[in-house]
Amino acid sequence: MVEPDRISVVIDQDLESILPGYLANRQKDLLQITKDLQTGDFVSLQTMGHRMKGSGTGYGLNEVSKIGQEMEEAAKAHDGEQISKLAAELTTYLQCIDIVYKEL
Amino acid sequence: MTTQDHILVVDDDPDICTLVSDFLEKNGFKVSVAMDGKGLQEVLSNSSIDLIVLDLMLPDEDGLVLCRNLRSRSNIPVVILSAKGGEMDRIIGLEMGADDYLPKPFHPRELLARVKSVLRRARTQPEDSLESEQNACYRFAGWTLDVPTRQLYSPSGDKIFLSGGEFSLIMVFLNYPNRVLPRDQLLTFAHGREIEPFDRTIDMQVSRLRKRLQDDPKSPSLIKTVRSVGYVFSARVERGEPVS
Repeated sequence: MVEPDRISVVIDQDLESILPGYLANRQKDLLQITKDLQTGDFVSLQTMGHRMKGSGTGYGLNEVSKIGQEMEEAAKAHDGEQISKLAAELTTYLQCIDIVYKEL
Repeated sequence: MTTQDHILVVDDDPDICTLVSDFLEKNGFKVSVAMDGKGLQEVLSNSSIDLIVLDLMLPDEDGLVLCRNLRSRSNIPVVILSAKGGEMDRIIGLEMGADDYLPKPFHPRELLARVKSVLRRARTQPEDSLESEQNACYRFAGWTLDVPTRQLYSPSGDKIFLSGGEFSLIMVFLNYPNRVLPRDQLLTFAHGREIEPFDRTIDMQVSRLRKRLQDDPKSPSLIKTVRSVGYVFSARVERGEPVS
């Protein structure tokens, strides 16, 4: 099995104390996405995508905002298949990022 | 900025609250957080706040209505931080009284810069600007509206009664004269709510206001209809000292 490439992300060192909590919340989101897809709760999925879109870039993770935006749109369209793909994308992204804190 | 500046962050997303409050605190601000409109009111009644960072999509109240209500009774600067980032959203937000508007997603450093800038501007403005607006008198086409008494005087000096809704509506027109105001915007400005399908509230109030202003509905000279859009208040408006 081919290991995905590592992704180096430079983050403002002012965010060092809160970023781990943010990443942990995204792991919780992944669990919630699975539950919501099982129950067909697209309202919850839309809210989750909306929040990821709004917060990701603020934490220095533009990719989270991008996935969040696509998830919000997919949830509006009740497209569970696309949401599953995006959840897999988010899982991979979270597994592959190497955070480098720097004074920006 | 001084270390005493107290910022209130209002957002229903805990991750945004953490991000903004942590970043502002690291840069010398005191920060309080509210997750909804009720929380905002609680903080305001218990603390002295220098600036509010306000999300628009709150679970219990529309942030625009909160912004409008805040502006009607206080001078606390408001920076809207919202996922509603379209041009019209920003225009409406600013016209509802916000001092700045930053769309999400955002960079915390940009928010910090805007907060500092708005605080700087707020300090250079006279503190009684809201009070002076509420004590103003508007004159147009021979008519006079005395804001403190909510009294409208006709060109011949007769006192004309205005209902609460008519007063709110004429205040919007007097603040935005000679400019096309869409019906939904008029409803939001005057009453702080969004228009619903087939909602004729504004049309009925305009009709009543025209009667008060003796403006011929078939050929109005003051409140003109812009077909399929809304209305324009067509008069030169002067603001001066109150009558009373």
